[in-house]
Amino acid sequence: MSQAHTQEGGDDILSIQELKLKFHTYAGEVSALDGIKLSIKKGELLGLVGESGCGKSVTALAIAGLLPPNAEVTGGDVVLDGKNVLALKPEEMRLARLKDIAMIFQDPMTYLNPVLTIGSQMAEITRAEPKLFVSTLVNYRLRQIDKQVEGTNPNPGLPAERERLRHALESQSLGRKELNELTRSYAISLLRSVRLPEPEKVFEMYPFELSGGMRQRVMIAMAMMRRPKLLLADEITTALDVTVQAQILHLLKDLRSEINTSVLLITHDLAIVAEVCDRVAVMYAGNIVEIAEVHELFRNPLHPYSKGLLASVPRADLTRTPDSIEGSVPDLLSPPSGCRFHPRCPKAFEVCPSRKPSMIEVAPDHYVSCFLYGGLNGKNNNT
Amino acid sequence: MVFVLFALSVLIFYLTRGLLPPTTALAPYINPRLTDAGKLSIARAVGVATSSCPSFSDFAALQNGCITPLWTQYLYWLKNVLVGNWGYTLLPGISGTESTWSVFFGRFPYTAELDIVAAALTFLIAVPLGIISATHNNKAPDHLSRIVSLGGYSIPQFWFGAMLLLVFVLYVRIGGLGLLPASGALGTTCALCFSNPGTITAYTGVPLLDALLSRNIPYFWDSVVAIILPAMTLAITSLGLLTRIVRSNMMEVLRQDYITMARSKGLKERTVVYSHALRNAILPAITVTGLLVTYLIGGSVIVEIVFSWPGVGSAALVAADVLDINFLELFVLVAGVIIVVTNLTVDILYAVLDPRIRY
Amino acid sequence: MSHEMKQPEKNPAKSRRQHSDLRFALHLLRQNPIVMAGLVISVATVVLALLSNLLVNGAYWHQQNLTLRLCWNNPAFGWPVTNLFNCGGQVYPLGTDAYGRSLLQMIILAIPIDLQIALEVVASAVVIGVVFGSLAAYMGGLIDEVILRITDIFLAVPWILLAIVLIVVLGRSLTTLTLAIIITWWPWYVRLMRSQVIGEKEKLYVERLKMMGAGWPRILFLHVIPNSIYPILVQSTLDIGSVILTVSALTFIGLTPNPLLPELGNLSNQGIEYFFTAPWLIIFPGLTILIISLGFNLLGDGIRDIFDPRLRR
Repeated sequence: MSQAHTQEGGDDILSIQELKLKFHTYAGEVSALDGIKLSIKKGELLGLVGESGCGKSVTALAIAGLLPPNAEVTGGDVVLDGKNVLALKPEEMRLARLKDIAMIFQDPMTYLNPVLTIGSQMAEITRAEPKLFVSTLVNYRLRQIDKQVEGTNPNPGLPAERERLRHALESQSLGRKELNELTRSYAISLLRSVRLPEPEKVFEMYPFELSGGMRQRVMIAMAMMRRPKLLLADEITTALDVTVQAQILHLLKDLRSEINTSVLLITHDLAIVAEVCDRVAVMYAGNIVEIAEVHELFRNPLHPYSKGLLASVPRADLTRTPDSIEGSVPDLLSPPSGCRFHPRCPKAFEVCPSRKPSMIEVAPDHYVSCFLYGGLNGKNNNT
Repeated sequence: MVFVLFALSVLIFYLTRGLLPPTTALAPYINPRLTDAGKLSIARAVGVATSSCPSFSDFAALQNGCITPLWTQYLYWLKNVLVGNWGYTLLPGISGTESTWSVFFGRFPYTAELDIVAAALTFLIAVPLGIISATHNNKAPDHLSRIVSLGGYSIPQFWFGAMLLLVFVLYVRIGGLGLLPASGALGTTCALCFSNPGTITAYTGVPLLDALLSRNIPYFWDSVVAIILPAMTLAITSLGLLTRIVRSNMMEVLRQDYITMARSKGLKERTVVYSHALRNAILPAITVTGLLVTYLIGGSVIVEIVFSWPGVGSAALVAADVLDINFLELFVLVAGVIIVVTNLTVDILYAVLDPRIRY
Repeated sequence: MSHEMKQPEKNPAKSRRQHSDLRFALHLLRQNPIVMAGLVISVATVVLALLSNLLVNGAYWHQQNLTLRLCWNNPAFGWPVTNLFNCGGQVYPLGTDAYGRSLLQMIILAIPIDLQIALEVVASAVVIGVVFGSLAAYMGGLIDEVILRITDIFLAVPWILLAIVLIVVLGRSLTTLTLAIIITWWPWYVRLMRSQVIGEKEKLYVERLKMMGAGWPRILFLHVIPNSIYPILVQSTLDIGSVILTVSALTFIGLTPNPLLPELGNLSNQGIEYFFTAPWLIIFPGLTILIISLGFNLLGDGIRDIFDPRLRR
């Protein structure tokens, strides 16, 4: 299980309030998000679990402003580091995606352009807005120079280069050639930091020449290049073998500490959650049903759905086959009324079909959205 | 593809020599002043009559034993063709002693010039149109560009050429002259023309090139002015297919995951469309070049007639009227070579440009 | 109080898919006024063709008066060219052709002729293409090679050259015209059908049919072909417009059986001769060709878009 990770600062890097979203399809309107509440603290690794189709990826896309044209946000806020993301103009949103939010996707084969080299797909990031990357690139090179100067036989041209770079840092601009060279060496160092062998070679390769695990590392390196405030990782290990999975997850954790990024880790695999997350949110049919610190959730799941999920995980120490939750995921074209889980809930009672339960803090930092724990009178706490 | 050309020659040969009377093949060589014996010896020389044929009238009456079997005729013809002997042509204005080869290739540069300019125009218009259509899918620019490309595909080439002539020669007149020339490859009587462009040296036979090489700018201008309308006619009617392919490729590519990824990296939309999407979409589109070339060569026949363009297309029609098989055979085979070579080049280019195939 | 968890599945999966196919199709149709326009034009053309003999006397074009009598006297608008001849008392809405026949009536008579040729060509090309294409794909091996090579040969020539040669050697008649176009058209259908069947024959149900002992004719004709024929039908709709363009191009350059025949290319041929003095003679027949082929092209293009699986949401 993961080690306890001290939260830095009390501030939330991300706060989603009552986000409602629907899709207009030829078959009708799909109610994908039904007023979700979610927050991530700075430096935290939050897991978002749920079955396929419950809206996890949609949430991430909404945060990043990458929703398809037929999606419509019908209510709520998404506040990233103080800015309301939904209210941003497209150009501002693009800059936010460049510098503040990075997203890594599930299948690195389809998410990398097959006809461009890895290197060019990394270099285009700094070329998009060179000004934003001047500090990062120059500081990286300065650190390199410092190390070289202290070492044996330093290149005599280094002090002059250092002066040039300091000048560039002050004026916040870089020549084209210098930008390309610095980007290249910075990118290669990132490829090295994600533990890719022979990063210089990888830089010149095409995606199809790499294995799945290597491509996923490349994606992580691309994300790290921007030093984002928030990293959205959407099922990043689903397409990989178990052994590679573990490596990628640990890599993620290490990088998170290095750069102090907050991470939203989306997955349907509880084992992953147990491995790396600080807190976890459980999602069902477009609603967040429970949020808790990870040990707390595994020890004391409150929502019937969370209980069902945990009970259905195969365990080596039990001899009987795990239980499954009865019924199937609802059709979001015409979702169940009230609490969307009530048709499958073993503990459902009269009020469940009639209203949606609100999120209540049942124990310190442990939130649940279920009438079993209150909310009947509308008097209990909301987050 | 050598096999294809070979088979094509067999096909054309059997169609023309087999279905037309044998005297047709002799037409360019025979003039009425020759005696029967003279005609017969020519018929034997061309390989159509057997040596055992008694007289020319027997031959003309298709007597048995007088006409060499078709496959023998073919071999004889093939032997000649492979050494460059394509016989004589019947086109009027040529005395009948001009070789098919020289008449054809005297006119061919004009058709080539027209087709190349038209091809360039087609690409220049179709590709941006397809991109705009895909990036503004189902909105006004998409509808407009689809109308243009479908419209181009539906317009009769002769009609469009005629309409252009009507507008720019008949109705838009400056100083009593039409804006653009009415016919020919060199415009001298139009409002925009130089009336006395001088002469050029024929380095290549292609007027535009030769004018540049001879540093004769008025001549070059007059050639440009003359080529605009026919080239536009060809281009507008050919761009439908290319636009549609670029559009559907772009639309498919824009739905790909790596486009979402590119956007998620914060790249400008213009970078996403051109560096990522277009790169992937344009590659399959070049496979349509072979079709385009076929279409352009065929279209030249009609367009050259409408604009009285001195190329091989307009000559082909005259050749058909006078049953000049030599000319038609040469035309078909040259067209075949061009198309086959184009397709081959495209295949090679595709393999070179797609990194996945290279490895 | 017991809440219906879910509506019971009323429709089996297959008909639900068809139902949503249709809804999707109508949804796209509504989004696409252009395709609607295509549909309207195509239907109008067919109706006009069917009714043409009711509107105009079928023998009208057989006029024997071959003296030149071009004129225009539509009071609504005129042309900036001088009238060649006096029209006489009758008003001709679209002017007359070179033989003094009302252009409007000639066009109405021409539509069914062109449409008929187009339908004959397309139908024949479809049949040939389906038969040979599916045989080539299904049988594979030598048969495939041979058929493929033959299509290669035909596709290496610009269609118009081949058509010219054919008409020259076969003589000029409507039949040879139709035949010439069929011969230049069929290779496309063979290729198209072949690629469809190649994909189709790998599907599981074919394997199952083989295991059940069905003979190859049965599998091919009763199952594989009906399932792969869709793109062919789309293409054939598009091609009706293209064939009309082709026919009129061929008659325009003079490969017509009879210069008097009411046929859109024929009329245009006259038109280009008297181009600068009687522009209406090429404008209106050409415009008719344009509208008809545009109608079918819009329709075919729209159908293709609607049923292209790659463009689905």
